[in-house]
Parts: sequence; C-alpha cells; structure tokens
Amino acid sequence: MQRLPKIVRILAVFSFTVVTVLFAALIVNSFQNAGKPLTTLVPQGPSAESIQQLLIPVTSIAFVVFIGVLGAAVFISWKFRERRDADPDEFPAQVHGKTTLEIGWTILPALILAGIAVGTVMTLINLNREEPNSINVQVAGQQWWWQYKYDVNNDGNYDGPEDITTATEMVIPAGKPVQVTTTSNDVIHSFWIPGLNGKKDAVPGLYSPLKLQADEPGVFRGQCTEFCGLSHANMRMLVRAVSTSDYDAWVKNQLKDHGADPTDPTALAGKKVWQSLCAQCHVINGINDLKMKETPPPLVSGVAPNLTHLMTRGTFAGSIFNLYEPVSSDGQALPMGDVAAAGDPGAALTGGKVDTANVNRVTLEAWLRNAPALKPMYPQGGRGMPNLNLTEEQIDQLVAFLETLN
Amino acid sequence: MALTEDRPLALPSGESDDGYTPTGVFTRPTAETGVRSWFTTVDHKKIGIMYGAAAIFFLMIGGVEALLIRMQLWAPRGSLLSANLYNQVYTMHGTTMVFLVVMPIGAAFANYLIPLQIGARDVAFPRINAFSFWAFLFGGIFINTSWLMGGGADGGWFMYAPNSGVIFSPTHGIDFWNLGLIITGIASLTGAVNLIVTVLNMRAPGMTLMRMPIFTWMAMVSQFLLLFAIPVLTSAQVLLMLDRGFHANFFNVAKGANPLLWEHLFWIFGHPEVYILILPSFGIISEVVPVFSRKPLFGYPFVVFSGAAIGFVGWGVWAHHMFASGIGPISVTTFSLTTMFIAVPTGVKILNWTATMWGGKLKFTSPMLFSIGLVTMFTIGGLSGVMHSVAPMDSQQTDTYFIVAHFHYVLFGGAFFGFMGAFYFYWPKAFGYMLNESLGKANFWLMLLGFNLTFAPMHVLGLQGMSRRIYTYDAGYGFEFWNKVATIGAFTLASSVGLFVFNIIYSKVKAKNLPPVGPDPWDGRTIEWMVPSPTPVYNFDPIPTVTRVDDFWYRKYGETKDGKLVRIASTAEVAQQRTDGKGIHLPSPSYWPLVLAFGLPIVAYGIIFSLWLALIGGIIVVAGIYGWVMEPPDDPDAAHDDHGPEAHASDGGDAAVPDSAEAVKEVETVG
Repeated sequence: MQRLPKIVRILAVFSFTVVTVLFAALIVNSFQNAGKPLTTLVPQGPSAESIQQLLIPVTSIAFVVFIGVLGAAVFISWKFRERRDADPDEFPAQVHGKTTLEIGWTILPALILAGIAVGTVMTLINLNREEPNSINVQVAGQQWWWQYKYDVNNDGNYDGPEDITTATEMVIPAGKPVQVTTTSNDVIHSFWIPGLNGKKDAVPGLYSPLKLQADEPGVFRGQCTEFCGLSHANMRMLVRAVSTSDYDAWVKNQLKDHGADPTDPTALAGKKVWQSLCAQCHVINGINDLKMKETPPPLVSGVAPNLTHLMTRGTFAGSIFNLYEPVSSDGQALPMGDVAAAGDPGAALTGGKVDTANVNRVTLEAWLRNAPALKPMYPQGGRGMPNLNLTEEQIDQLVAFLETLN
Repeated sequence: MALTEDRPLALPSGESDDGYTPTGVFTRPTAETGVRSWFTTVDHKKIGIMYGAAAIFFLMIGGVEALLIRMQLWAPRGSLLSANLYNQVYTMHGTTMVFLVVMPIGAAFANYLIPLQIGARDVAFPRINAFSFWAFLFGGIFINTSWLMGGGADGGWFMYAPNSGVIFSPTHGIDFWNLGLIITGIASLTGAVNLIVTVLNMRAPGMTLMRMPIFTWMAMVSQFLLLFAIPVLTSAQVLLMLDRGFHANFFNVAKGANPLLWEHLFWIFGHPEVYILILPSFGIISEVVPVFSRKPLFGYPFVVFSGAAIGFVGWGVWAHHMFASGIGPISVTTFSLTTMFIAVPTGVKILNWTATMWGGKLKFTSPMLFSIGLVTMFTIGGLSGVMHSVAPMDSQQTDTYFIVAHFHYVLFGGAFFGFMGAFYFYWPKAFGYMLNESLGKANFWLMLLGFNLTFAPMHVLGLQGMSRRIYTYDAGYGFEFWNKVATIGAFTLASSVGLFVFNIIYSKVKAKNLPPVGPDPWDGRTIEWMVPSPTPVYNFDPIPTVTRVDDFWYRKYGETKDGKLVRIASTAEVAQQRTDGKGIHLPSPSYWPLVLAFGLPIVAYGIIFSLWLALIGGIIVVAGIYGWVMEPPDDPDAAHDDHGPEAHASDGGDAAVPDSAEAVKEVETVG
C-alpha cells in the first residue's frame, strides 16, 4: 500500500487520457454515418432537414458551453491547487459572492436560451404545417408489426373499396409530401423513420399527424421506439420511396385482388392450406376479406398482416427478415436477421413477375415451421403467429402459393 | 389533547408496574446497542445508516441487472437473456436504481445530516422515521421477491398503459412493481412530512432559514417535491391496481380510456422525481466544495433560491417526456419553452460552484474529486437536457440511447457522483474512521473512467439510431463497436463500486491502528463537525446557538474587513466533548414502526394472491397502529432524572425554538 499514491497518479492520468480520447473519437464518429441506416444525422427529407438545421447550432452552443465549463474546471483545479510548500495557515481571500456577476450569469444563459427558443418555435410551426396535396396514410401499430392504410381517393375514409391496406412496408413517391396519421390497435408504439422525420407515438384511440417526405427514391428504415412489450426490438418498419410513375403502378397493382386460383398445382394446394389455417387471422383480398369483415378474428391486435401483395414487399415478420435475399459479393446468403440491406422485390413491387430464384426460402420456411422460435411472441394470448405444426409438404405448398402473391 | 388524556392503557403517570406493558404484547425495547437495537431504533443516525446500507444492497442488485443488460447487448443477437427476461431485467434495473438506490441514499443523508446540520436531537417524529425506513425496506424487498414468484415487472419503469394491463402482461410482475412502489411511496411521503417538520420547527437557536447549510436547504426542497409528487404516482398506481386486480377500466382503451392519462400522471410525478434525486446531491457538493476550496460558497442566496426555483419550475415541465406522444403542437411548444427555462437556475449552480473554487486553495481529497466530477459530468447531462428541450430535436432523440446517455449523466454523473463524495466526506462522522484517501482517489478515477466508457458512447449510438429498451439489435446498423465499449465500461464501473466496498472494509481494519478521528477531520464549516465522531446518540450537548452561515467555521476563524481569514480558536477549543448524555431526553425505541411496516407487504401479497392474506396483513397493520397509538412516545420507565443541561444550562436554553426532545413529545402526543 506504500506505492498506492503513485498508482493512483498513473490511474488518474490514464483515466483522463482515455476519456479525452473517447470524447474525441465519439465526436469524429458522429460524422461517420455511412452504413448506419437508422442514423438521425443524415436527413433525407425536408422535415428531417429542418430538425438538422436546429440541431447544428444548438449542439454547437452546447459543445462550446461544455468546453467552457470543463476548461474552467481543469484550469481552476490546476491554477488554484494547494501547493506542496503552501503555508497551512494562509487562507485565500474570502469572497462570499458578487451580485452583479450572479445576475450576469443568470441573464446570459437566459438570453442564449431565448435565441434557441425562437428557432424551436419556428421549426415547430414548420413541422406542423400541413402540406397541400399530401398522400394520406394511416399507420397503425400492433404487436409487433405495422399496418398501412392509404386513402387513395382522398375521401377521408381509409377502408373504402378504392383504398389500400398493406403491412410491414410503406411505399411512397419520392419528392411528394405524405401526411401520416399514427394510431394503434393495442398498446402504445412509436413510428420513426429517422432519415425522414422525428417520431410520433401510435396511441390507441388517438390519431396523431406526422409529415413524411423523401427527397430521393430509396429505402428508409425505422424502428418502433415506444416500448410495446415482448418483441419491441423486433418491430421495425421500412419506407420505400419510389419514382412517381412506379408509385402509380404500385397503387394500381395494390388495388387488384388475388381471388383467382393459381395455375401451378403445388401453389393451388398451398392455397387450400392457407384457406384452412392462415385465413383465420390473415387476409388476402378476394379470398377472405369480406368474410373477415363479418367475423373479425379473436385477436388482441385485431388483425394479422394483410398478405394480398406479400411478394411486393422486400421484408416480412415486422420487417426483421428479408423476403428476398440480398446475395453478398461472394455469392453467400447473408445470415438470417442481418437485414441492414433490405430485400429488393424488383419488378414484383409494381406487380411484375416474382423473382422466385431470389426468394429467401430458408427464412420463410423456417418462419412457417415455427414462427415463435424466430421472433418472441405470445400466440397463446392472441398476439403473434403460432406454431401451426405444418408438415414439410404443407410448407412447400404454402411457399409456392405465397410466391404467387405479387 | 383530549385524545391523549382519555387513553385507557397509556401510563403517562410514570408509575412503574413491572412486567406491565401498555399493549400487553411487547416489553418496551431499551437496547441502544447490539443487533436488536437496530430493529427498534428511532435514532435518526441509525436509521440514516440503515437507509444507506439498504441502498448499497439494492445497488448490488441493480448493478447486476445493469451488467446483464450490457452483456446481452455486447454483440448483435445476444442470447444471454430471452426477450422476456431482458424486459424484466431492464424494468427492474430502472425501478431499483431510482426507487431503491438513489432515493434512499438521499434519504440516508437527509436523515443523518439534517438534525445534525440544524442542531437538533432527532427528527420531529422519530417513530414515523423508523416506520419510513422499514416500509421502504419491506417495499423494496417485496418488489424483488417477484423474481422468485413468477418473474419481475416487464413494462419498463414508466409502466405505460395499456401495456401494463393484465391482457398484455398477465404475470404478477407488474403487480409486485405497483404495490411495492405504493409501499415505498408511503415511506417517502411520511419521510417527507417528517423531515419538512423537522427543518421548519426544530432548528437550533439562531438557525434562521438563511443560515441553514445548503444541504439542508436542498434536502428540504426535495422533500417538498416528494410531498406533492408521490401522491400523484400513488393515485395512478391505485388506478392501475384496480385495473389489474379488480377489473376496473381506467386504462382500458376499449372502454373509452385515454392511455395518455397514465403518461401525464406518471410524469407529473416523474419529472419532479428527477430533482428529488439530484437536489440532495447538489446540496452535498455545496458543502464539500467550500470546505476543500477553503472559501465560503459563492453566492449562498443564489444557490438557495436557484434550488427553490428548480423546485417550483420542476412542476411545469413534465410533458417534455411526451413530446412524441401526440399531445398537440401548443402543448409541445409550451413545455419546450418551460423546459429551456429550467436550465437557467441549474446553470447558475454550476457557475456558483466554479466561482467558489476560483481563487481558493484547493485540496483534492476524494470528496472534492467526486464533486468536481459532478460539476463536469452533470454539465454534459444538463446540456443534453437542453438539447431535448428543443422539441423537434427531441422527436429524433427521444427513446433512443441518447436519452439513456442523458439521464445517466444526470443521475449517475450528477446524483451518484455527489453521493459518492458524500460517503467519503461523512464516513468519519458516522463511523469514526476515515476511508483510505488513496483508495478513494483510485475509486474516483476508476469510476470516472468506467462511467464515461459506459455512457458517453450511448450519445452517438442514440444519434445514429439505436432505440432504447431493445433486447437485441442486428448486425449492419453500425451499433456493434460502441456497444462493446459500453459493456467494457460497465464492468469498469462495477469494479470501481467493488473498490469502494473494499475500501470500507480495508479502512475499518486499518483504523484499529490509527488514532481515533476527531470531530472535524476536514476542517469543516457547518455545525455537524462540532460533535464528536462518531456522532453521540444525543448529537449535541449542549445545543449550540447559531449566529451565521457556516457557524462552526466562524467559531474557528475570524474574518477581517478585507476578507482575510485569521484563526481565533483551535478545533479542540470549539468542538464539543463526548459527554455521558445524562439528562438529555431522547425518544424511546419502539417495535411498532417495524410491526406496522411489516403488515404492508403482507397486504400487498394478499392483493396479488388471496384477499384472506390481505386481511391478515390488515390486522397486523391495525395492530401496529393500535400499539403505536397506545404507546407513550417516551418510555415512562426510561431514566431522565433531571432536565439539567439543555433546559437550563445550555447557551440556547431560553430561545424560542424548543429542544428537540421536548418537541418530539409535544408533536407526537398530538399526532
């Protein structure tokens, strides 16, 4: 224990150095946002951009204040430290306070904050202003996936025959404003596409507005950010911004139903399986949508994802798995669950042919085999997909059928 | 007063009837030492120490939970914990750290120090004080027994409705959480009343409000916050209890409930709670920094009033926790601006501590290091708080790891660093031996390192999109590196807490060979340093008369007109000697607070499992109240043969403020 003071001194220098390096590395890293699909620091739409315009000055002020306080603490600690040879009976001047100084450093931060307040209020007004000619989408959270309803004919009703109900992925035209209304079918969730705007909670019984607009076509990822129970971590979402013409084609395709029998016999058998098992909770327009309206399933969340145009989506199961495999450069499939690169439906997005060779069959079959093993859920409580104990033959048939749902 | 005169069983006459007890159950406990004395004590010092010990015990539990969280998030797709278990662990980590660690450490220091700082013998209601502690302890243990009875709560410490309903959380975890926090809420509420009355009524002669030590001031503000905040939480929790246990529909959306009701109630409690947690710590460092700067606190009235201002404005900012919840743009704007405004009094404090150090003669003892650590680390948390007050920015940052970083910088870098300093500062006063200074400094540097490694990366993780409360994340989001750093930091942090515990034991062993520590090891300023260490059971003999702020300091030093300090007396001359305490009234120990508090978790188990059990618990509670009421506040048999020193001979004997034991007697017989 004799050498302890020396060890302490080394530890102090080490600790101070590591923390300084850490802070510097963090600052540098906050500018490195490539390969970080959820970053808030690269705005890709006007709303996120206006938040960024506020973030830069406010963070800079905060940083300057922090450096000031830290610098003062370090400088004062050094300058006014008790020297080894100091006379123990010598005392520093006893200053009890200085009112002018006190008033000064009460008013100064108040003024800085007043400036920040002006910018804040202006940005809030901007973010809450409704854009004319918006596309209206109602976004409903449920454990643990998202449903999207498009009011295509702008009649204020999201459930008309000319409206669209889809799930997991939201398709929007790039460059056009989208007025999202969030709500929930069970507990509170939060809808967040960091590249496009801040988040808005999806509260059951409430309808809250959120503007989205993407500058360019692209895929924008999101994550539910209000704790919503068991699989909160697995509740993700994806916004696919496409060109206006692709969007129109997408809408046109979504309005079709899939009532007709598939020609392939395996797929037809799969349809039979689907009708006897899956149709209790899921909907395919043209097969059981009218029936489901009459006798809604006894689920806490009300519904399971609408599968009418499953293959137009790049992901499934709350956007945690790729429906289409992005093949890596060495030809190997990415490990299951690594979905930072979204699956690409290709031509199927707008109703074209499904690229069956590229479908992520491994994961899709695993999901059908035992869904709760891949994503924690409470199927016994009516929240999530149960293990249906399907045979391998039934799984093959179902996959063949699902692959027809473009 | 009629109440007390009509009591059939009390024996106020003082006649001794051997073997007779007022309620026929217990012999009045008399032990002042030994294990049993701790169960029956009403001594604010013993209760304070027990609060601290219990908090450190719960810190270990909450710390293990934190390490589990960090190990789970070490790499993508962590498999240490299932989703279900992770949700329980993070919920219980938050609950434990807020309600069972930081709050009780605040209560520990408030209990121990307030009577000493204001020159009182004890708190106003010593038995209620004991009850507060036991209710807190039993409530805390009750919550943690959920681990053995079907799992912990899984709804997050904020427990938003309707996810907290039976449909979505059918296990009993949330019931344990809910009922346990109602019990600790009762403890906090009674404690708050007790300490407020103590500060307002029991100050030594001459101790005006504006002569009170800053810690007492800040602790009192936080007790007022508790007084008004806890009932809001308890009301909400009673509604939740009725929903979960008795099919009520307060939070049932299908029956027309608005789930934002819970959010509002929770945060009307929850935001003042932040100041409840941090103000005592601000008070501590306002004591420590002047002592080791050898200068008075810069701008005492500004520090007092900024603390009080935080206490008031703290009530008008709760909805900043709900910017994303859809409360509408007008509410968002309003709460955004009020939240910015509260940064002003907080900033004033930072600048005052800095100015106190300016021009001083700084001694870098362990308490001082932790205090400077608080000033710098809390500043980071305060500034990220200002960033959140800007509502549009908050809409990106809320519920991400940026928030986790923010509030750990406030509550760990702020509140907990201050309390660590307080442990080192007041340890000799409470236990009569110093903690090893070298180990203390190592403790500080290791904690500073671990703390920053753990929480600083969370700022960037949050800004780059990592959500809170997720049990897993995937590769490819860029979260891997900083999560690894944070996990390494968490273990560093845990080792620094381990070093603290080691220091306690090591220093205790070494203390045998060292001379006993005097009353005033740090050359302190406030009157708690007048009394011998460890503090005698009666605190002061006699009660001092206070003439100014930092009264004890100015008994040792005089100040010339130009601010020069000259020693006028040695510590030995002005400090008090340990006396036999004869003739000093002290409140008598009692079993009843323990009995009453013990009944509460029984009632709670009953509400969960069987109402018959609740009935038994209820009987214990009623018996506890009955025994308590029937028991005279002072044991008539206890020896207090004369009223010598403090009533007649003390230098404050003729002052308006009664000495504490008298006050205890009066107030308690009325209540």
